[in-house]
Amino acid sequence: MKDDILSPAAARVLNLLGMLAMTAVLLGAYVYQFSYRELPCTLCQLQRVAMVAVALGAAMNVMLGPSPRHYGVCLVSAMFGIGISIRQTLLHINPFFDSKTGQPTLAAASNPPFGQPVMGLHLYVWGVVLFATVILAVGIVQLFKGQFKAGAPEPEWLKRVASLGVAVLVIVASLETLTTFMECGFGACPNDGGWNWWIFG
Amino acid sequence: MMTATFGLLAVSAFFLWWRKAEWGWAAVMIALILGIVIFMGDVDFSSKLGVQL
Repeated sequence: MKDDILSPAAARVLNLLGMLAMTAVLLGAYVYQFSYRELPCTLCQLQRVAMVAVALGAAMNVMLGPSPRHYGVCLVSAMFGIGISIRQTLLHINPFFDSKTGQPTLAAASNPPFGQPVMGLHLYVWGVVLFATVILAVGIVQLFKGQFKAGAPEPEWLKRVASLGVAVLVIVASLETLTTFMECGFGACPNDGGWNWWIFG
Repeated sequence: MMTATFGLLAVSAFFLWWRKAEWGWAAVMIALILGIVIFMGDVDFSSKLGVQL
């Protein structure tokens, strides 16, 4: 395989696209949250933390140049995210389970899913799909070592587009901080889906 | 603690954009460790899921 099949500039563009895709998922979660009036639970918030962290790893590749360390950030964050997503999926995978007694039951809606499904799957199941895709994609992209050549020139247009893209990530990460502060304050997040309005008196 | 975790990520994203800061990877690792601490606090170890591993 030719080593220079993926140039540093092409790798930056790929990472920029990945980062924007992850940012779009986070914004989509906001649309879902406010249209269904469903606040994210603790596990949902942790999956968002992992998404922001994956996007930040890609943003480092975009701004500082492709590096195994930055891809490592993406992989470790995706592993964290998939762990949380699988945990939440397993919590709700059996609808005929009484979480209070810890016993199987035939009672209807004894273990309801969290939130509304999107295209047939709940968001935490989409989380498993998303983080597995990130792990696969990062693994494949790392096969091409031509991207790690030091001192490769960066096109001026790419600098501008990259700066704009990472600015969007900064805004989304700041929004997440603000809405999390409104929901959780500085303590633990409520799992009943309510806002901690005490912060505002 | 969740707010601090998101805040840490937001601050590192901002400095990456503004100053091309190279310490963002360390901030992400700290944020993920905070996430693990939050996760461990959220898990009810006394409950059974009706499954076995």
